[in-house]
Amino acid sequence: MNSPTLSEPRLRPQEQEFIDRLIVKYHGSPGMLLSLLEEIQESQPNKYLPMEVLEYLASRIDVPRAQIYSVATFYSLFNLKPQGEHTVCICRGTACHTRGSRSLLERLKLQLGFKEEDEEGSADKLSATTPDRRFTLRTVACFGQCALAPVVEVDHAILSHVNERTLEREIETLRKGSRKA
Amino acid sequence: MRIVDLSTFNAAREAGLAKLLPRKPRIAIGMGTCGSGNGAEGVYHAFSDAIDNLGLGFQLSRTGCFGFCAEEPLVNLWLPGKPLLIMRRVRQSMVPGILDDMAAGRVPSDRVLCKIEEWDHITAGMKYGAGFPEIPHWHEVPFFKGQKKIVLRNCGLISPDDIEEYIAVGGYQALYKVLIDGNPGAVIEQIKASKLRGRGGAGYQTGIKWEFLRKARADRKYVICNADEGDPGAYMNRNEIESDPHSLLEGMIIAGYVMEATQGIIYVRAEYPLAVHRLTLAIEQAKEYGLLGDNILGRGFHFDIQLVEGAGAFVCGEETALIRSLEGKAGRPTPRPPYPAEKGLWGYPTNINNVETWYNVAPIVIKGPAWFTETGSPKSPGTKVFSLVGKIRSTGLVEMPLGTPLKTFVYDIGEGGTEDRAIKAVQTGGPSGGCIPQEMFDTPVDYETLAQIGSIMGSGGMVVMDEDNCMVDVARYFVEFTHSESCGKCVPCRIGLDKALHILNRFTRGEATEGDLATLDELSRMIRDTSLCGLGQSAPNPVLTTIRHFRHEFEDHIRAGRCRAGVCEELALSPCENSCPLHMNIPRFLQLLKEDRLEEAFESVVIDNPLPASTGRVCQHPCDDRCRRKAIDESVNMREVHRHIADSIYFSDRFDALAAKVASRCMASTGKKVAIVGGGPTGISCAYYMTLLGHDVMVYDSNPEAGGMLRYALPEYRLPKAVLDRELELIRRVGVKFTFNTKIGDEISLNELDALYDAIFLSIGTWKESWVYLPGTELKGVMPALNFLEAVAKTEPVALGRRVIVIGGGNAAIDSARTALRMGSRVTIVYRRERKDMPAIPEETEAAEAEGAEIVFLATPHRIVGTGDGRVQAIEVVKTRPGEYDASGRRRPIPTDEIQRFDCDTVVLAVGETVDLDFARASGLKIKDDGTVEVDRYTLETSRGKFYAGGDLITGASNVSNAMGYGKKAARTIDQRLMGVRRWEDLFPEFEYSLTPPAHPSESGRHTVTELPAADRARSFREATVGLTEVEALEECSRCLRCDIRNGNH
Repeated sequence: MNSPTLSEPRLRPQEQEFIDRLIVKYHGSPGMLLSLLEEIQESQPNKYLPMEVLEYLASRIDVPRAQIYSVATFYSLFNLKPQGEHTVCICRGTACHTRGSRSLLERLKLQLGFKEEDEEGSADKLSATTPDRRFTLRTVACFGQCALAPVVEVDHAILSHVNERTLEREIETLRKGSRKA
Repeated sequence: MRIVDLSTFNAAREAGLAKLLPRKPRIAIGMGTCGSGNGAEGVYHAFSDAIDNLGLGFQLSRTGCFGFCAEEPLVNLWLPGKPLLIMRRVRQSMVPGILDDMAAGRVPSDRVLCKIEEWDHITAGMKYGAGFPEIPHWHEVPFFKGQKKIVLRNCGLISPDDIEEYIAVGGYQALYKVLIDGNPGAVIEQIKASKLRGRGGAGYQTGIKWEFLRKARADRKYVICNADEGDPGAYMNRNEIESDPHSLLEGMIIAGYVMEATQGIIYVRAEYPLAVHRLTLAIEQAKEYGLLGDNILGRGFHFDIQLVEGAGAFVCGEETALIRSLEGKAGRPTPRPPYPAEKGLWGYPTNINNVETWYNVAPIVIKGPAWFTETGSPKSPGTKVFSLVGKIRSTGLVEMPLGTPLKTFVYDIGEGGTEDRAIKAVQTGGPSGGCIPQEMFDTPVDYETLAQIGSIMGSGGMVVMDEDNCMVDVARYFVEFTHSESCGKCVPCRIGLDKALHILNRFTRGEATEGDLATLDELSRMIRDTSLCGLGQSAPNPVLTTIRHFRHEFEDHIRAGRCRAGVCEELALSPCENSCPLHMNIPRFLQLLKEDRLEEAFESVVIDNPLPASTGRVCQHPCDDRCRRKAIDESVNMREVHRHIADSIYFSDRFDALAAKVASRCMASTGKKVAIVGGGPTGISCAYYMTLLGHDVMVYDSNPEAGGMLRYALPEYRLPKAVLDRELELIRRVGVKFTFNTKIGDEISLNELDALYDAIFLSIGTWKESWVYLPGTELKGVMPALNFLEAVAKTEPVALGRRVIVIGGGNAAIDSARTALRMGSRVTIVYRRERKDMPAIPEETEAAEAEGAEIVFLATPHRIVGTGDGRVQAIEVVKTRPGEYDASGRRRPIPTDEIQRFDCDTVVLAVGETVDLDFARASGLKIKDDGTVEVDRYTLETSRGKFYAGGDLITGASNVSNAMGYGKKAARTIDQRLMGVRRWEDLFPEFEYSLTPPAHPSESGRHTVTELPAADRARSFREATVGLTEVEALEECSRCLRCDIRNGNH
């Protein structure tokens, strides 16, 4: 990742403080590590878990770094790379699949200009970000919105009964939209 | 308010009731995630603003989801003293009208789905009021008919954000009772006696599991709710939590008390933010009311519930993996024993149940186990919530008694398939379940029966698949899922699923062999038998059930390299090509014409389809259904474009040159002699390709001219003989020879053919009209449709009356009716099913009606009434009503007592054609029960060496393009058998044309043929339609989205 030698955590004091407060909040409760990682990731501007954060966390909760890394890589919710400005998440649930979500995914990959080597994970667990970090394209096992299939989530808003044209327009609107500061 | 005794409890209930049944009109918007995804937020705000602006003083609240997702957003309206009304598909624009109606005490005129006069919340009853006789009760709506809402008792009726409303409908009463009674053992006995089984999928007895934990001795015990609903296609848990979170909490608190646990954990999917939000709020409220935390209800019991958000790992549905996840580790399962009841979270005894299991606890406590076992089947009592989704009209959450047959879900509740597609299978149990074919829809849905047929109940996902879904792709899809969700701990799952996926990928690319199918089957059994946890053990189920029930689809992928559903992209050029029985390269001729290269477009068409002008007029055009352009506006009118191309050449001076060019493509003579029996579309197609392949081909036909049904059954106004003759001229110039007026069996025997030829292809079609046996068919004036059409085509005299009744709903019926109209008769068509069930091409039916034919649906002939001298005088028909769904996915017509009489002098029977059994029997070939000739599906070989058969002779009556597809396929296999090498591909020339897809879809809409005015065309046999103009044809070509081009590659 960023640097191979990270024995000294290099986080800004506010970040350290934020994490320390979370540790107090969840201390000793079941699912502590998941909850910590979820909240930390959400607090990051690029919605990912930088390596130095994981290092810092390990040193504070006395959990081996290997275990934290194991957890962070096991669950699909966690990102180890910075995410794009917009996240488009295509549901690959069964109902969506039977109603054509694979072709939506293929279409969108073309539109966003992804090539095979940009992608992480297998076809149904995809997470890829455009080089300009405008878009992250992901898939999810199922949103549980099966009656609205096929479903695509764009920046946390669910679009229902999506077809290639509506999705294309949605992306174009985002692309033309002004970049966040 | 803290509840400590009965009076505080009652105070909370009264407060809740005042909100549910206020003294003023009440409006509640269904705001589950589904509702919100369909615009419920906007509707809520529209109501809120309008109520404020108008100063109406109505009560407005949010509720959960009543389950009918296809009709969201749902809105509940209630006027004091009246039934609760449920409105469907409410839009913001409708809000002012609804408020007007309510203020005036009226029912809105539109979009009222149903009413509820009283509701059984199980834990309490609720009376809304009576009235509105014109509105159906909720259980009279097909979607709700037969549903029994125990788990979903409160969903969509109370606010999930308000504990007082929950208490008002009997909530926390079971907890109160359990704590007052103070007899935990008795509660466990109740649960055991109810035989409640875990609703997460495995179906283990809940009471027994609870007893284990109760008996476990430890200073700390955990009770966990598994709300990590990860099954793709299942979302009942999400809705349950979003709509009624307190029922879950109550079930867990009761369980905590009886099992002596003090800590509850709900492990919920992070992908369900609204469920997390509502649960968090519910937990806070329960604490505030003294129902959770310290000294619950003042009885000294302490219990906490904590929420943990899962992080997206399907394997965490496995209980040991979920526990590891809570311990801050990767979610990898561990072997059992030790079971969680002995050693669970951090080594302490732990009980885990699925969300829905917890929802059954309070009802059992209140109503008792005997009440619970009244519903469902003996071994699987109670109800189960299913998410009925996929290719079905009415989607949503359905709670049915266990043991309900699958077909009730699909056809009654779900109301059948979408867009008139035939339903093929239902997938139950998600990635751990299997696919159940349509023939087995009588299967009762319970734990045992589903397991017997290789599937599982799972958490309740029910995904309906239709003919557009490829079952090999479905198997691959699930293995792709479990493969990527495998935790990687045990070898069979990690490596086995990887290998299985590799093999399945070979199938979808058309590279698989018979050996692959055997390996896949064996590998799947091995993974099932040797994996560590439920994920691996059940992951092969989708593969094993599809191999068991849909083996022919796997074989299609292996032997024919075809995916009939058109899903496996690598096996098809484009969806249109895949659906075309002749597999025409449709994008190619569209593009060639678009590039203004008419002659090449013609060559492209005619090398794929020897009768492009005829099929351009009469084909059933399956390509239309598959065209991707439909997602934008309407399909490209491909059939009419090739009609245009063919007509432009056939009737121009370029015909001779192009016919010569096609003929020049004939390969060098092979010296092989081939006989083709039957000169209809099937035989002509086979003869054309066999001649091009260099064989010496002779076509025998009993008629004096070629064309078969095209000439003798299709009326002139649909297919002018001049067009057919031009097409046959090209066939002749290629070198096909004909022997007419020769009937096989009479003039020449099969044995003689055997002696004279190297191969014989039988394609005699179905010329025998099926006969209905009813009184009066012997009367003068009753005639079979084919005989009638043939006589007209041959310009023989026909004694047609002035008043004609046609019985049937296929193309022959419509052709007969339109022909009779043109002969000056009045025509009524009688069809036993509904309009949408008619096999005839819809445009033809519409044209017949426009020309003056009447159609009587849902009626079947009863008897034909004759005059004294034996002539038809009238027909009596029995009205039918749509009954159960049959194997064709259509409702079986059930006769009623109502009889209708039509005066008439002619009755044309067009109830279907069959193979001439005399011929089939005399041939000595193996015949199937339905009278068709038995052949190998892939090679079309009959039981007799050298003899092949195709078309209607092997399928029963079908249509022109299907028949031609068999002729083409026969040519390929016969040639390969005769020559011992594969030469087929050499027949097809390369064309150079643009392979760049359009940057933007063309703006043009679909063009259709121009119909002559109905009044004019009904008096003449002149062709009833005029084809596309050149400009229109070009615009159609531009509308193609070029599905044949993928990733810039061809």
